[in-house]
Amino acid sequence: MILNIFGFLMMAFSAMALGLLFIGIARKVVARVQKRIGPPFYQPYLDVLKLFTKNSITHGFIFDFGAIMAFGGMITTLFFVPVGPFVLYGMNGTLLLVIYLMAVAYLGMAMATVGSGNPLASVGISRALTQMLGYELPFIVVLLTLIYSSNTSSIIGIVQAQQSGFMNWNLINIPIGTAVAFIALLGLMGKKPFDAPVAPSEIASGPVVEHGGKYLAFIMLQHAVSVVVKTALFVDLFLGGGNNIFIFIVKMLIVWLLAALIGSIFPRFKVEEGVLFYWRWPLIAALLQAVIIIF
Amino acid sequence: MSLFYYTFIPIIIAFIAYFLNKKIKLSLAILNSVVFAYLFYQISRLYGQWDIPYESITYYIFDREVQLIFQLTPLSWLFIFMTTGAGLLIAIFTIKSQQEYTLRSAFHLNFAILVGSILGVVLAGDFLSLFIFWEIMTWSSFFLISSGEKKAAQKASFRYIILSTVGAYLMVTAIFIIYNQIHTLRYSQVAAHLSGLPITESIILIIMLAIPFIIKAGVFPFHVWVNGAHSNAPKEFSPFLSGLMLKVGIYGVILLLYFVPLYNILKDSIHYRGLPIFNYILAIFGGVTVITGTVLAIRQEDVKRLVAFSSISQMGYIIMALAISTPLGFTGGLLHLMNHMIFKTTIFLSIAAVIYRTKTTKMREMGGLIFKMPVTFAAYLIAIIALAGIPPTNGFISKWVIYQALIEKGYIFLSVAAFFGSIGSFMYVFKPLSTIFLGQLKPEHENIKEVPFLMQLPMFVLMALILLFGILPGLQMNLINQISQLLNITPVGFTLYSITGAFGTWNSLVIFSLFVGGFLLAFIIFISVKKSKPVGLMDTYTSGEYLDDPEAYHYAYQYFRPFDRVFDSFAARSLTAAYDTFAQNIVKLGNVFRKSIVTGNGQTYAFYMILFIVILAFAGWII
Repeated sequence: MILNIFGFLMMAFSAMALGLLFIGIARKVVARVQKRIGPPFYQPYLDVLKLFTKNSITHGFIFDFGAIMAFGGMITTLFFVPVGPFVLYGMNGTLLLVIYLMAVAYLGMAMATVGSGNPLASVGISRALTQMLGYELPFIVVLLTLIYSSNTSSIIGIVQAQQSGFMNWNLINIPIGTAVAFIALLGLMGKKPFDAPVAPSEIASGPVVEHGGKYLAFIMLQHAVSVVVKTALFVDLFLGGGNNIFIFIVKMLIVWLLAALIGSIFPRFKVEEGVLFYWRWPLIAALLQAVIIIF
Repeated sequence: MSLFYYTFIPIIIAFIAYFLNKKIKLSLAILNSVVFAYLFYQISRLYGQWDIPYESITYYIFDREVQLIFQLTPLSWLFIFMTTGAGLLIAIFTIKSQQEYTLRSAFHLNFAILVGSILGVVLAGDFLSLFIFWEIMTWSSFFLISSGEKKAAQKASFRYIILSTVGAYLMVTAIFIIYNQIHTLRYSQVAAHLSGLPITESIILIIMLAIPFIIKAGVFPFHVWVNGAHSNAPKEFSPFLSGLMLKVGIYGVILLLYFVPLYNILKDSIHYRGLPIFNYILAIFGGVTVITGTVLAIRQEDVKRLVAFSSISQMGYIIMALAISTPLGFTGGLLHLMNHMIFKTTIFLSIAAVIYRTKTTKMREMGGLIFKMPVTFAAYLIAIIALAGIPPTNGFISKWVIYQALIEKGYIFLSVAAFFGSIGSFMYVFKPLSTIFLGQLKPEHENIKEVPFLMQLPMFVLMALILLFGILPGLQMNLINQISQLLNITPVGFTLYSITGAFGTWNSLVIFSLFVGGFLLAFIIFISVKKSKPVGLMDTYTSGEYLDDPEAYHYAYQYFRPFDRVFDSFAARSLTAAYDTFAQNIVKLGNVFRKSIVTGNGQTYAFYMILFIVILAFAGWII
């Protein structure tokens, strides 16, 4: 019991640290792509620590509750995603569960931001939910194919099926699906060209427009954990997972940097254009992959 | 207590109370609650007594023996339990909520008759008693829908009754045909008879029997009555309409798909991935229902209309799951049926509470009610978490089982439809949350208070149920496996905390405790740092603009406009309009007939009479 709680806390805090590190590295890399020097890689740590000491304002209890729900929901999701050899709760049937657990965090975030009463935040949330319907559809078709082909919906089972060497990775087994999932991952992480929900130049960063002080720190931490959850999920599902935590983190970093690099060179889609884009090529490709695997 | 009493007690009490109500106000609502509570208690004691013998009344029509049969099965127990439970909660809700409603006594009279007739429908053991109570149910619900306060209620209820009548004609015709062939209408004998018939004939009979049920369940292409009826019915009746009336249609579908083992009848027909094509078409209709309901729900500006469309899409899930006829599909369908009844009733009750205070159903005319009505908000929030299928609520469990069933067989289209509906549901449930409960408070709603305790009570009960079944799905599975045994379906493995799917299982207790852990951690971090200063909702970032009008600062109208633009052409091609055009063409045809034959001229009619006599004479009947 004590060990469980210790593991729980260790995993939560190391995921936060890892996520912030990833964000810092990505900021540096993107800056170099855009011919800037960029902040040091440890800048996000400083930001979070600073924000926790600042005075902040709240717009009522739903604003507080939403922040807690967003962060707590993301932490809960983390425990169902195997990060390298670290698996706290190795249940079967977790893949669909993870997808729905992530929604808790989104719902919390959405409630907090709309609860602030700022219409810019509402616009952001409306865009975010719309875009979600865009990327989730091809993504979930790929997951369905994956579940059907590996005959298990447990993430651990899918990882184990890919263990014996590079040729067993799902990257090789279902290549089109992997590509589609990666495009969906861009939307899932709100990277350009799918960053209409935040769009700093149009709607003042949308959902986070009212967040300052510890609330912004919470959102940053939640974002950090979500980066870990999403990249780890991708590595588990398509890149063979990993018995060694360092190899696993390197794989995660590659996925994350690839996403950041792609994001650094594209302009932004309008939200309905983004949705239609997802429903056109990625969805068709995902369905094609599903037909190939299932029939 | 004899099974007949369950049906007739509410109906008889309703009439007594109706006249009593002329003397004492509110006596009807209270009496109804007491009667439903009593029935609910009796029915919960019936659990497990599946061996009580069936009861019958025999009578003779034109020397033909006809039996009305009542029997108790686990399936019918589930439905009578849900019906009286929902009836009880709604009756308690109405005690306070109908203070200013003029048609109050008619409402309660019809409501009690409706509950009684639904009990009759699901306890019936033969098609004739099913039909009789089915019609009583149709008519009492018709009167209930038409007693809505809006003008449009009459049109909506008219559409409902027309569709129901079409269904009733088909059903009664099929019943007569079957009776002519075998002189009995008991389910088991009819099932055996249908299995023995040539396949085309039995399919035609089954379709004739199925259409009234599918109409009641609101499945595409017969969903056109649902949105109008739900949104215009009295606010207290909408929860019952959506939570139960639609499910009674599903009961009929279960009856045909499993009791009359359609799967066996169609075993030799064309297959798609191991499923008879008829079942697959039904499942496809379910999938189309999910997509249509979702897309249209996202567009709505009227909150009751929005929830009505969401009911349509959730019905699609149930039909889809039941139609694929696997043990997992059946289990998922029944689980979703129960869970949908619980969370949709909660949603409609919380909406009714909001309407009770604000007197409007337009979402853009409300806003910021969370600080005024926190209990209502909590009920709505928990219910939508369940509807969106997010753990640790009951909605997650049933949707998970349905997904497992769909993926197991590799039905791509159906899975895509299911996922589309699920993610789309995030969008449409968030719209009322955001525009009614969050955002800026309207100045005219400054003095709104939370609803009275008697209206909160049902919401508390339902909230508790959502969480209870989210953590302990084994409670429902226990009953579902008994139903499966009755219908010869392989039971699905389960424990108190988990259900075994096709690709694994999970443990809801672990999920719940991890949730508590995650939230606790977030909460501890939150309170251990500096306290924040509370400010008003108008004190926000406005790019330097000065704002004093909260109404203009509330983002509510056309919330998902970019998304709606994608589907504008789809929504413009409404099926309702197509049906209307069809009706107009029928009227035109009638006019042509009237102008050419019914001329209004006496000589024409005299000519008809002579013609008639001449024909008779030629036929040799006169001379």
